[in-house]
Amino acid sequence: MRRSILPVALAVLGLLLFGQGAYIHAKALLAQILLKRAFAESIATGQIVKPWPWADTWPVARIEVKRLNAGAIVLAGSSGQALAFGPGHVELTADAGERGVAVYSAHRDTHFRFLRDVKIGDEIDVTRSDGKLFRYRADWSSVTRFDASGIDPLAPGHELVLSTCWPLDAVTSGPDRYLLHATLIDPES
Amino acid sequence: MNEYGVIDVDEHPSLTRLIRLGLFLLVQGVAVILVGFAALFVSFDPAWSATSRQANLLQPGEARSGTLLLKDDDGNTQEAIRLGIDVDITVSGPTLRARVTQVFRNTTQHWVEATYLYPMATQGAVDSLKMVVGDRVIVGDIKERQQARVIYEQARERGQKAALTEQERPNMFTNSVANIGPGETVLVQIEYQEPVRQSGNEYSLRVPMVVGPRYNPAPIVQSVDLRADGSGWGSSRTDPVPDRDRITAPVLDPAKHAPVNPTSITVRLQAGFPLGEVKSHHHAVKVDSPDHASRTITLADGTVPADRDFELTWKPAAEKAPSVGLFREHVGDADYLLAFVTPPAAERTEQKPLPREVVFVIDNSGSMGGTSIVQAKASLLYGLSRLQPADRFNVIRFDHSMDVLFPSSVPADARNLATANAFVGALQANGGTEMVPAMRAALTDTLNEPDTVRQVVFLTDGAIGNEQQLFDTIAAMRGRSRIFMVGIGSAPNTYLMTRAAELGRGAFTHIGSVDQVEEHMRSLFAKLENPAVTGISAKFSDTAADVTPTMIPDIYRDEPLVLAARIDKLSGSLEIKGRVGDQPWSVKLPLQNAAEGKGLSKLWARRKIDDAEIARTIRQVSPDEADKTILALALGHQLVTRLTSLVAVDKTPSRPAGEPLKLSQLPLNLPAGWDFEKVFGERPLQVPSQPKERRADASDTRGQLTAKRVVVPATQKPGTIRLPKTATDAELRMIAGSILLMLSLFFFVFNRRRAPVRRAG
Repeated sequence: MRRSILPVALAVLGLLLFGQGAYIHAKALLAQILLKRAFAESIATGQIVKPWPWADTWPVARIEVKRLNAGAIVLAGSSGQALAFGPGHVELTADAGERGVAVYSAHRDTHFRFLRDVKIGDEIDVTRSDGKLFRYRADWSSVTRFDASGIDPLAPGHELVLSTCWPLDAVTSGPDRYLLHATLIDPES
Repeated sequence: MNEYGVIDVDEHPSLTRLIRLGLFLLVQGVAVILVGFAALFVSFDPAWSATSRQANLLQPGEARSGTLLLKDDDGNTQEAIRLGIDVDITVSGPTLRARVTQVFRNTTQHWVEATYLYPMATQGAVDSLKMVVGDRVIVGDIKERQQARVIYEQARERGQKAALTEQERPNMFTNSVANIGPGETVLVQIEYQEPVRQSGNEYSLRVPMVVGPRYNPAPIVQSVDLRADGSGWGSSRTDPVPDRDRITAPVLDPAKHAPVNPTSITVRLQAGFPLGEVKSHHHAVKVDSPDHASRTITLADGTVPADRDFELTWKPAAEKAPSVGLFREHVGDADYLLAFVTPPAAERTEQKPLPREVVFVIDNSGSMGGTSIVQAKASLLYGLSRLQPADRFNVIRFDHSMDVLFPSSVPADARNLATANAFVGALQANGGTEMVPAMRAALTDTLNEPDTVRQVVFLTDGAIGNEQQLFDTIAAMRGRSRIFMVGIGSAPNTYLMTRAAELGRGAFTHIGSVDQVEEHMRSLFAKLENPAVTGISAKFSDTAADVTPTMIPDIYRDEPLVLAARIDKLSGSLEIKGRVGDQPWSVKLPLQNAAEGKGLSKLWARRKIDDAEIARTIRQVSPDEADKTILALALGHQLVTRLTSLVAVDKTPSRPAGEPLKLSQLPLNLPAGWDFEKVFGERPLQVPSQPKERRADASDTRGQLTAKRVVVPATQKPGTIRLPKTATDAELRMIAGSILLMLSLFFFVFNRRRAPVRRAG
């Protein structure tokens, strides 16, 4: 019947859209499980372990905010493909624990959803793939354009920057990025 | 899914209805499950309730833009903080030490954090910060910049009084003071060391008092190319002034507001030789003479508004100033030396001077409005009148656009000079300041005749925020050209003048008022017309030495060579060699006879830091190496630099927990002689919170205009990181999906209700 074509079409379209949205979240969630496994193996063997055979990236670190019971496995590189599975370690920035600024970037609606709850003073733990743990303290936050981050990766000091899209609760993407700056407390703690 | 259409099968109406109901329930069930699934990821509540928490997470740079004079609850704007400034300078021979006290008085009912953007003497080495709260004096420590900021912000959050001194540019600093209570007064005192400037027979010092509003070129859109895969690597933009927020302060419209920031100045002058004339060029002063070699200079009116530079010059009583000076200081396990040598003037008759090509560049941007453009035009006309028939010349004028008078340099004959005079005479000050394209045009060497001397005379107030871009341009394009900077107006950007002249291997001069034009331009042209002392080298006979400047510049007529050195032991001599014209010249200074000087180690370190910055600009060392050098020097000698700040924290908390803290960015005066409308466009209705926004708007459109007219080189600031796109459209899709599902459910119900009605009809 013609009258029911519209609701059916709407339902199909709605389900399709909803499914796509849910798929992005499901992918993000599932990938993290696989990544956790690969990361654990990576720490144990000291080798680069790909989370699945056809992956073009691999886990390099784990970020954790104990107070929020939140965390994620960070991938090498920050291409769109990598970011679908986990936070990316932005190219050309320092490794965690090294002199300079380490920048990790992730989607505000998946892996870095917890950023909005991180308060100044919170401790952020970063475990590298060689098993070393570095503890950072969140110092300040800022909002900048993606191309005017002002982050000098060679800056003195040991800094960590977690970056995600701003505003945190928007549904469309924009040019602004929210940056949470943290400084190394003391290594090997 | 055609089963949905079975409502017209009349034989089994109840069955159809049952099927439809079943499907309806199924769809609803699926929707509920999906929404429940989605709720795992999408929790809308915290997203919208998080705003209050976000507010205190904002960076100061964000918060400071727009926050100005405090508004109280009745909507009255009241000045939040009153600022008084006292400058106390002691000149001892070749150096001076200045103590700048800023008095922050909170006249409001709130706890306030105040920030004040102020200028610094270009060669000034800031090494001390003290905060005075009541009868307590808290001495600041030198820390790496980020670390200092963290310490300051922690103290601010804990309610402790804290002061932070940061460098924005070598001649532009910010002081921040946290937690000034209602009715309280906090004193912030910084001290700096600076060498006295010598030119010919005259010594001078300059106290900059106000930061002129800077023109910050808009970011330039290079290309727009959005990739379809949604990776976020798309439109490419670079900001020539990444710290534009930090170097912009509210400016009061002098027509609407009485000047603020009263300043008192005292100079204790101990020249080390019998003094002749002592003159303040822009302020009325009282001069006391306790003895023949010292003077005490105070302002005649007590205080003046901080709206123009204070300039003091003095001359020796003798005909000639001493041509050599050597000073030493012992700090730690090393000796520091400061040497002044004025080479002899070359005989002009020896040879005919080489023909010259002179390119004049004049800034006719809005910041030059008022008296500045008059001074600049007078200076340029004087320059034109000094050209010889054999010389070639050209004139370039720029604001946000640019005009080059002749396609390439032309002979200085009567007709061309008349054209140039008319062109200069008609100039009006207006618009933005896109200095880089003008410098590029001036440095483009079209004639390329090796047997001529190529000189660029650049007249500007230097009111731009993208200094480094200009320096990069000079470093990349200077070729055989020499750049002579003429700083115009009451508060020129001295850092830009000195560094541009140094990179351009030329000289610079200041013109602060119309009556200085003739004298200063004459001495500048003496430098242009006379051979410089070239190929200078310095050698210590007995000791290893770290000499700065590393690359000793050519010395122009009447200028002294100033060398600073760190040496292991004070013995032997310093020999300086060079060529005056084509004559060899050398001078030998025995180190034993050096006189005791003060603060020389700081000056040496400050100059070494300049060396590192220059080496970085001309790509001699990597940014990382330069930073390492600067950091080591700064921490070793307690200096505020790009990488280090001074921070002082009062351990006792003063602001009770729960009391809010308001930010107040102290307004600046417009530099004297500037035209408010020319700088900020039309007078805004609301002063002073508007000017900045208007300025930003104006510069935006100007930036676009420029992009059309001339190709502006956009150099990516090295080392800044682009952040990837970090938002998925998952939520958008899910929300749209849910809406569509709801809509379809609504239609189902709607159809079901209507179906029986139709059958009945």
